[in-house]
Amino acid sequence: MLISAATATAQESAPPDFTGVWTTYTGAPQGRASGFAGPRANLPLTEEGRRRVEEYQRLVGPERLNAAAHCATYGVPAMMSLPGAYPIEFIQKPDQLTIIFEVGNETRRIYIGDRQLPPEQRIPSRAGYSQGRWEGDVLVVETTDLLDGQDQAANPYSDQARIEERFSLGVDANGTKVLTWQATIHDPVYYTAPVTIERRYEPYDGFILPYTCQDELWYELLEMRRAQMQAGEPITARMSDVYKAREEKE
Amino acid sequence: MSNILKKVAVTMGASALLTWGTIATAHHSAAQFDFSQRVTIEGIVKKWNVVNPHTSAIIEITDEKRGTRDAEYEGHSASHFYRAGYTRDMVKPGDKIAILIAPRHDGEDGGFIQAFTVNGKTVGFGNLSPETGRRLDSSAESSSE
Repeated sequence: MLISAATATAQESAPPDFTGVWTTYTGAPQGRASGFAGPRANLPLTEEGRRRVEEYQRLVGPERLNAAAHCATYGVPAMMSLPGAYPIEFIQKPDQLTIIFEVGNETRRIYIGDRQLPPEQRIPSRAGYSQGRWEGDVLVVETTDLLDGQDQAANPYSDQARIEERFSLGVDANGTKVLTWQATIHDPVYYTAPVTIERRYEPYDGFILPYTCQDELWYELLEMRRAQMQAGEPITARMSDVYKAREEKE
Repeated sequence: MSNILKKVAVTMGASALLTWGTIATAHHSAAQFDFSQRVTIEGIVKKWNVVNPHTSAIIEITDEKRGTRDAEYEGHSASHFYRAGYTRDMVKPGDKIAILIAPRHDGEDGGFIQAFTVNGKTVGFGNLSPETGRRLDSSAESSSE
């Protein structure tokens, strides 16, 4: 009896395992893929937030520059919307959930439990610092230490933003396993009220493919310098020349 | 059957069936392309580089108006190429190829690859925005989502 009780307790307390490769859930429509959910006009922007959106739209211009086209990461929360419908991999250990988005191998680490990096040692980044804890079957994650950024729809979040994320597993009516990610952005700089977004994922029956981006620039630079070498010219090409050549094609 | 599929079928022969993928990329700055239009070009592959964040190809094309010249085309990411059915070495320099493109707004050579047929095999990417992954209607191209 004691053993049974202990086993039952262990089963009840075992957290769900998010490990696996996931893709955008197709069982029901979801909000826009490349931005925060919901129409942009409804986001409760502060005056500073509105200024930031307008400025960013001017910065990216009619050619619609975006970070990923320049091999920068999407960051959190943008990467969690799986821009471009690429798959995402979750690798779970008791003390860490590692999430790898296919594009650029963009990786985030959520540290679960007591072992955490002291706040003064956290380097601000587009992924931020993520601390997780279990609330029953829900992994609750607090992400901070972000760099000021925008998602692909220009929705901003500041370096003061705190994002509370909730990861949970379920099953839909067709028996498909569904991983639900919900995030509430608390950002007094750009928003007058918290903004909640949600994405659902389903298992992906395929492989994460290697996705490099910056590597191509390096190869193009070598190719340029090789052409100079073969022409008997001084080998002087620089990365700025690679960018110049790319821009001339646009 | 969608308009694109019809056009490709007409251009490439009834036996050429598109691999109709539900894919797109998210990162191209593709504002120079007109996704409301579709044009099929035919030519000889000079360069075919399936890479991220986007593929590039140089095709030798010929027409009466401008003669023979090299034209450069862009395409989806390597990941999306492979998921759409592309395989290594499917396209080699010297191959004859037919490509369905979204042409440039300015009418110059070039465009964004929507589908192609080479050596009897066709790969298609669907009518999806390279920026958002969403289906493009003829009027939806200007969306900045």
